[in-house]
Amino acid sequence: MLSYYLRLALASMRRTPVLTALMVLALGLGIGAFMTTFTVYYLMSGDPIPHKSDMLFAVQLDNWDPNRPPTESAKDVEPQLTWRDGLNLMQADTPATRQAHMYGTGAIVVPEGDEPPFDEGVRATWHTFFAMFDVPFLHGGPWGERADQDHASVAVIGRELNDRLFGGANSVGRRIQLDDSFYEIVGVIDDWQPTPRFYHSDWGRAFEDSEQVFIPMTRAVDVPMGPHGNTNCWAPLDESLPMPQAFLQSECVWTQFWAELETPEQVAAYKDYLDNYVREQKEVGRFPRPLNTFISDVNEWMDVMGVVGNDNRVQLRLSFLFLLVCVLNTVGLLMAKFLGKGGEVALRRAMGASRGAIFTQNLVEVGAVGVLGGLTGIGIAWLGLRAVENLYRGYQHLVSLDPFMLTAAVGLSVIAAIAAGLYPVWRVSRLAPAGLLKTQ
Amino acid sequence: MNDLGPIFRTLLRNRLGAFLIALQIALTLAVITNAAFIIQQRANDVARPSGLDEPNTALLVTTLFDSAVDQRQLYRDDLEALRALPGVVAVTPIQSVPVSGSGWGDDFYTTPEMTSDESISTGMFMVDEHGLETLDLELVAGRNFRPEEMIVRGMESIETADVTIVSKALADTLFPDGDALGKTVFDEPNGEKPMEIIGIYDHMQNAWPSSDNVDRTALVPALAMFGGQMMYLVRAEPGQRDAVMAAGEAYLAQNRSRIIDFVRSFEEQKQRTYGGDIAMIKLMSAVITALAAVTGLGIVGLAWFSVTQRRKQIGTRRALGATRFDIVRYFMVENWLITSIGLAVGVAGALTLNWFLDTEYSTGRVPLWYLPLGMIALWLLGQVAVLLPARRAANIPPSLATRSA
Repeated sequence: MLSYYLRLALASMRRTPVLTALMVLALGLGIGAFMTTFTVYYLMSGDPIPHKSDMLFAVQLDNWDPNRPPTESAKDVEPQLTWRDGLNLMQADTPATRQAHMYGTGAIVVPEGDEPPFDEGVRATWHTFFAMFDVPFLHGGPWGERADQDHASVAVIGRELNDRLFGGANSVGRRIQLDDSFYEIVGVIDDWQPTPRFYHSDWGRAFEDSEQVFIPMTRAVDVPMGPHGNTNCWAPLDESLPMPQAFLQSECVWTQFWAELETPEQVAAYKDYLDNYVREQKEVGRFPRPLNTFISDVNEWMDVMGVVGNDNRVQLRLSFLFLLVCVLNTVGLLMAKFLGKGGEVALRRAMGASRGAIFTQNLVEVGAVGVLGGLTGIGIAWLGLRAVENLYRGYQHLVSLDPFMLTAAVGLSVIAAIAAGLYPVWRVSRLAPAGLLKTQ
Repeated sequence: MNDLGPIFRTLLRNRLGAFLIALQIALTLAVITNAAFIIQQRANDVARPSGLDEPNTALLVTTLFDSAVDQRQLYRDDLEALRALPGVVAVTPIQSVPVSGSGWGDDFYTTPEMTSDESISTGMFMVDEHGLETLDLELVAGRNFRPEEMIVRGMESIETADVTIVSKALADTLFPDGDALGKTVFDEPNGEKPMEIIGIYDHMQNAWPSSDNVDRTALVPALAMFGGQMMYLVRAEPGQRDAVMAAGEAYLAQNRSRIIDFVRSFEEQKQRTYGGDIAMIKLMSAVITALAAVTGLGIVGLAWFSVTQRRKQIGTRRALGATRFDIVRYFMVENWLITSIGLAVGVAGALTLNWFLDTEYSTGRVPLWYLPLGMIALWLLGQVAVLLPARRAANIPPSLATRSA
């Protein structure tokens, strides 16, 4: 029966090719535009580490200027920590399963052969980073706790850099030159690109590539490698100290801090721990503002950091309205088309087709228009995403159509077409055959 | 217009069809006015003058990775070599560039008693005595920096300059009486780190296009040595920019102790900084075009169909004496009626959508004059779209009336 209905649908489409093309094009444009903005939005607001996102918490302490307005939520507090508070927490015995302190920096990689030097982003962190964020290793593994304590010159590098420097061979035990120092490679990680890059998601940084070089933070600070992210200061540096000690001991915030907490009890205990830490610091004259410690799990943190931009939200809303216009357009065209089918319907009714059969048959035709619209929509969405990729720098991880998106596009289109066609189809199945047959 | 009555009554007989087009027109008006408003705002931002000699300015960024090299000496050598290149007007070292998206924000205090919430934030740029000329700034009062006033800010030492040259906008904010020249501002609260305002220039934007006061900027005579990165801003004679960029890059590449991060024209830098706004402009333009196309084609499709449906009726009218023009007019008036109903609803829709976008995403309130413009555009769109089917209707011969379907 379905194949018969499909043949009828095809024949009907051939009879009104312009009208059909208009419907398919309108649906396709609507679906394509909406899928383009929705794909970007969906990938932007995706959970970067689904199996663990509720156990990883970003830490905020609020060491800020007492003259600034009071804090109402985590969004009002500096998202980063001072170096010394991070270091204090790393060295303390806290209720957390793991903690990781880190900052983003960069270095010039000098290859061994004749290849020209090039710059690479470097993440300076602690050995806990890798286990905490489930970073997959190809060769070797993270450096040990001792390396952090010893300020050791060790490095973990990414697959891409390993391919470039060592032709993909196991480089564990070999050396990499960063600026003018050498680091022993202890591990090579596989491709690892959390999207958004939650562990350091300052404005504009949330969709950057993850780094290809990781070194102990204790070592990076010794060099010193300056921070490549936002650095915010409110209090003057201590002039009795030489640089860079004055900077490290300052109230400037430029490091990120994460804690792994597995149970609600642990979360509560850790929060208490942080509050107590700030109270202790208040006693020595720091933290002049009211107590404002915040911990946010990964998804809450993405909201605090506003990783999905207002522009993306506006685009999503407007493209939805556009889809709505396209669907309305299709309803109108379907109405026109189906009311013109009165004669054919009357004939089929007179030959014994029930209203239900007419209804189903025409719904199949509408569904077929929906499928065609969806397929057109996928094509347009693909073009749209290529355009978005060209328009925005750093959107390379946000423009891929996965199978879910492809299915969703066709599904949405069929739903839109059926929603558009339901009333016209119902109307046409209610036509009284006798009157129509007479005028023929 | 005495056929308005019959046309309207005919419309009422096909309420749903008319209602669908009207609703579509309403939504279209709502979306295009808001999209056009967004485009206009972004285009205004992009068009703001930076203050620089935009077409003739370029940026050369390099990173030194050998700590055995004396960075201060390298700065001197680079500047000498770059200034000697043919076609160069001026070169300055600089730690960040206006309109580049990343820079140094600082707070100025005008009195020792001032607290940090009262301080005036400003975009700071470290340049040397060639800064004014390279940035194409005109001194409206005071003097330029002197070579002996240069200080170093970096990982090894952070010095504070004794003097600063500020933009007119910053000078007027700091000292509203207009007597900023010669006054002292403090870089820190409690009267710490005083700096004398030795000059005032006309206008320059800060590094962040989305900040509140883009024209509050200040120059200090300083060399930046935070790590190995060294940045030069080069102003070339008209038409010489690309040649200067190539020659500058070739010079910098001779030194094997550094890499060249990038050599970029200021215009390209500006495009990159405003990338998000430019993307928004293009996407919103695409939305407007696509909406107009879909709505227009929808009107064509429906009118075409309605002509087919009414062939006999039209033939009868023609047979009864209606001219071709009467038939065309019928469809145009019909479309005008439907569009007008849609636009009436659309005005409310546009304002509601704008209210929503402004409250949720602070897009700003759309000026009311966008509405009549949008309405005129959609009236025209409807009339043009209906013209083709209407002319087809006009060609239906009167003799059709005598035949049966």
